[in-house]
Formats: sequence, structure tokens, C-alpha cells
Amino acid sequence: MALRIGLGEIASHKFRSFLSMLGVVLGVSSLIATMALTRGIEEGMRTFMQQMGGLELVSVVPNEPGGLMFEFANLSPGRTLRDAVALKGAAGLVSHASPELEHPAVVSRGDGGGGERRRARGVFPDHFVIGMHGLEAGRFLTDLDVDRGTRCVVLGSSVASQLFPGTPVADVVGRTVRIGDSPFTVVGVLKLQEREEQARARKAGRKVPTYRWDPFRQKNESVLIPFSTMFHEFRSGDRSENATPALPGAPAKAEGAPNSMESIRLDTLTVRIGDLRHFRAALLQIRAVLDLTHRGVDDYDLETREDWFDRVESSVRAARLSGGLISAISLIVGGIGIMNIMLASISERVREIGIRLAVGARPRDIFRQILVESMLISFIGGMIGIVASLGLIEVLKLISPTENVPVLTLDGILFSVAFAVFAGLVSGIHPALKASRLDPITALRYE
Amino acid sequence: MSLIQLRGATKVYRVGEQEIRALDGVDLDIAEGDFVSIIGPSGSGKSTLMHLIGCLDTPSGGSMVVGGQDLSRATADDLSRMRSREIGFVFQSFNLLPRLDVVGNVELPLIYANVPAKERRRRAEEAAKSVGLGDRLANRPSQLSGGQCQRVAIARALVNNPRILLGDEPTGNLDSATGETVLGLLGELNRAGKTVVLVTHDPGIAARSRRVIELRDGKIVGEGRP
Repeated sequence: MALRIGLGEIASHKFRSFLSMLGVVLGVSSLIATMALTRGIEEGMRTFMQQMGGLELVSVVPNEPGGLMFEFANLSPGRTLRDAVALKGAAGLVSHASPELEHPAVVSRGDGGGGERRRARGVFPDHFVIGMHGLEAGRFLTDLDVDRGTRCVVLGSSVASQLFPGTPVADVVGRTVRIGDSPFTVVGVLKLQEREEQARARKAGRKVPTYRWDPFRQKNESVLIPFSTMFHEFRSGDRSENATPALPGAPAKAEGAPNSMESIRLDTLTVRIGDLRHFRAALLQIRAVLDLTHRGVDDYDLETREDWFDRVESSVRAARLSGGLISAISLIVGGIGIMNIMLASISERVREIGIRLAVGARPRDIFRQILVESMLISFIGGMIGIVASLGLIEVLKLISPTENVPVLTLDGILFSVAFAVFAGLVSGIHPALKASRLDPITALRYE
Repeated sequence: MSLIQLRGATKVYRVGEQEIRALDGVDLDIAEGDFVSIIGPSGSGKSTLMHLIGCLDTPSGGSMVVGGQDLSRATADDLSRMRSREIGFVFQSFNLLPRLDVVGNVELPLIYANVPAKERRRRAEEAAKSVGLGDRLANRPSQLSGGQCQRVAIARALVNNPRILLGDEPTGNLDSATGETVLGLLGELNRAGKTVVLVTHDPGIAARSRRVIELRDGKIVGEGRP
């Protein structure tokens, strides 16, 4: 009933009600827009992180063994190919493992032109999964390439375009490049990886922005050859850094003995966890396997992206909080507006309140009526605010960095409207109390 | 026991340092079905007495019993309940809500008596018809004459079927002809069993009732039966 009286009251003072709603309309629409905006930033971050290689990746990095372990450090063979094989074989939660060897070399065309210093990498096929590479033309390296030690190379997009400017990527496949002095056949060219705004600019024909810190640069400058080829061609001459410790019954290798492919220390070792839900368990598995292959020496560490993700998420949270706070303040201002108008309308309606009291309304009926009215005003204001926010978001879409397209969420809308109604409730309490405490006799006499 | 019973009822207002004794020890019994006029010059306390009888206020001293309920120390909620059940008001200035139509105004007391909407509407229409406004149900007060407005107010006072009808100068804003019909209506309701109490300064109107009580300076100074 109070609802109907309230609606009638609002309808009969359309302009006044609209004015008091205005603050709530602005508050709600800016609150929704802020939430959509921060949500957009969050999504942008997430896709960005996904492109970068998501949470699933864990890097095995060398680490100075601590404390007592230091004494036994040279018991451990360090990060070797065995780690990768053992991880893939024994750690069930690890889906991919990519051991890599690096070799800095001048990479040039077959005729020797276009040479530039690059970092060639010897990889396994798993690398293409872990690096989240796509193919522009040709193929990836295969197990067969690794088994046979073929002289095949897969080039990153910017390497291909630097070496063979103007040549369609399909024609780059099959060409010869030199890594150092060794000739390799290009079997594949990777897809260009870039940020969303770069892609958009490229599509629109605008100037492609460049960034001081380009996380995709390393990927686009890949020169990838089979791991075995890398070892035999470039790295087999390396001396091992320490003696492989004697195992019972096996002759100890002399210090500085030539490496085998199995014993050479890896430059990087990255694994991918199959299912993020078992992230912790997977880390434990990895440690269990590596403790075995490293003979109990903790000369390695696991680097996850979690910390980085956490930092990103906490900064998004901070942005959301501050945006939300500003909108909340405007909602509170809107609430004060409602309170103002309600107080004014009450002094206008003293006589009506007196009449209602005279015919049997209890003070609490009056209290409830005023409260319902102020909540209704803020609720309707909130509804209008939703509509207004749709327009506001369209505007924001036009002016915000394209990477972070605002995303309208249902919980954002619900939260904003709930908050608006709450503001209406709070700002209605004082006028409602005032109205319910009116003395019926004075109220009836009021002119 | 009488329907309304006051014993030594006083009402004291404080205006700054001054104490104003609006009612000063009033003893009064009004039996059910009676038709009583309260007369007196302005400032005599008749409005205050009317507010007490109408359960709009409680006495500062003495006792007051209405419909068997001791209201000497009633709370605002108790008074509201009494007004809702036992009392119908008819004011000099009608006191209708301008935004509501006739039915809306008449059903107002039923809202606060928690009567369901359908029932409310039926009873409001019935009451409006009983005062001769059956063809005006959807009109607003601004579209009605003074006499019609006062009949709406009477319908509103009746709709809860209270035992007491209180009129505060109910003909004060009406010309004598329409005032006459309103008084006739009140007389009819009294014959139908309602207890009617009128406050007036017009001896002519008082003469239409069965019992006249004269107030002066907050005290009953005379009582008679015309």
C-alpha cells in the first residue's frame, strides 16, 4: 500500500521527483560505468596475460643452494634434458616441458645478406605450445626434426620480414638462412604477436604504435632450430662446468669432459601445467621429480606468474575501488538530494500527514510511507541510471584505449541499484522520523 | 458505563514561562447514542476538549476513558488505534486529500485498519453512496462543491463504522442551506445509533442536538437540553 501511495506522490510531482532523482541517476550511471571500465581493464589484462603465456607456465630457474646444501652443490647435474624428460614422464600434472639451449649468432640470408645478431634457440616441439605460437606459413619443428637433428629453422615474424622484406611469408618457407656459418632451411614462419591496439591500428591502416617495453618482441624475433641440431652444431664443444659426480660403479668423468646432449646445462626450462585447478599439486610434483634428478640439491627454483598476476589484480582492484569510491560519493550526494527534497515535501505535506494521522494512521505508518517514497525515488533513479550508463559506456568505448573495452556486468548493475536504494533508505530515515513525530493536532491546524 | 467519561481532566500547555490551563478539571459523561454540542467562545477550551474526545491527545491530569479504554496514559499507537476503530472526524475545512478522488479519500481510514484492497473499495463506495455521492466516485475534491466535500468527509468518517462521530464546526464553511443538509445527515446518523459530538459556537446549531455543554475558561459552566 505504501508503495502505491509513494508512486502516486512521485507521479503527482514529476519535476520535483525527477530533480531529486538526478543525483542518483548520475551516481548509478557513473558507478556502473566505472565497474564496466575496470572490468574492461581487467579483461584486457587477462587476454594480455593469456597471450603472454598464462598462469600455467612455470619456469625452472637456477638458484644458489642454501645453507648446508652448498657443500653438496656439485652433486647436482643442474638443469639438464633429463629434467625435462623426467618431468614429462613422471609428473602427471605437467602437460608440456620445453628445455632450451641458446646460441647467439649472426642470422643472415643464404647469400650472406641481411645479417643481424640474434639469439638462436634449440627447442623441442613443446616449445610451440608453451610459447603460444601460431603459424603464419609452413610447419613447426617436429619430433622427427629433433630425432634426426635436421637443419630446419622456424623464424619469428619480424625476423622473416627483416631477412626477406617484401616476400610473402609463404615464399619465405623453403628459403635458406645462415645461422653463423651453418645453412638452415626455413620450414615455418610464426604468426606476428602483438598487442590489441597494434593489431587494430594495423587493420585500420594507421601507424602501428611501438612500445618501449614490448613483451612480444622476443617471440617475434625467434630463430628456432631443433634442440639436437643446436647441441651438435653449436654447443657440443662446450665443456661441462663441473664434474658429473661419480655414481657407484661408474667411472667418474674428469672435470671439463665434453658434454653429452643429456648432460649439457639448459639455458631455460619451462613447463606447462595441464590443469590450473591442480596448480599447487603440480608444483609439488615438479619439486619431487626435480629433487630426484638433482640428487636432493635445491639448486633450482620454480618461478610462476602468480606473483605477477597478483600484482596486476591488486592494481585493478585498486582502480575499481577508487572509481567505485568516487561514484559512491556521488550516490551519497544524490542521497542528500533526496533527503533535501523529502524534507521540503514533508513541510509541504504536514496537513496531509495530519489528516492521515486523524483517520487512524500510526506514526510508524507515516514513517514507512516516507521511507518507501524515498527508496522508490532512488530505485527509479537507479533504473534511469542504468539506461544512462548504457549511453555513458558507449561514449567510454569511443574514448578509452581499445584494449580495455568496458564490459557491462550484471553484478555491477545489481550492486549499483542496490547501493542507490540503500542511499535512498538512509537519506529517507531523517525525513521519515521527522514526519512520524508530527503532532496530529498541530499538523491538522497547519496551513 | 458511558461511552466517553472524563474525570477531573486537565490540559496544560506551556508557552515559554506561562502555563495555560486549556482544560481545568472537566467531568463529563457522554452516553452511547447521544447527540451532544459543546459550545463556548474561542479560547474556552472546546477544541482541546474535542481533541481529547477524538483521541488526538491525552489529558495532562485526571482520567479519560473512551469506549471502555483508559486513555489517560495512552501511547501514540494506542491513540491511533482508537481513532481508527472508534472515531470519525468531520472538520470545518473538510481536510480531504486533494490528489485522491472521492473513493480514495473515503477509503483512507480502511488502509490504516488493514482492510484488503477489494473490500476497501467496496466499503468506500457503499459509504459514499450512503451520503448521496454515488455519481461522484471518481471526482477529486476540487471538482466538488463545499457541501459535497463535507459529505465526502462524513462518508470517510463513517466508513470504519465507528461509534463516535466528531464534528469540529462542520458547517462553518458552508452556506446555511448546505449546512442544513449536513446537519440533517448528522441527525439521521445519530438516529441510526451513532454518538455525535459537535463543537460549535453557533447556538442555532447547538439547539439541534439533544444536549448542550457550555465551556468557559476550561471549565463546564452550563449544561442543558434544548
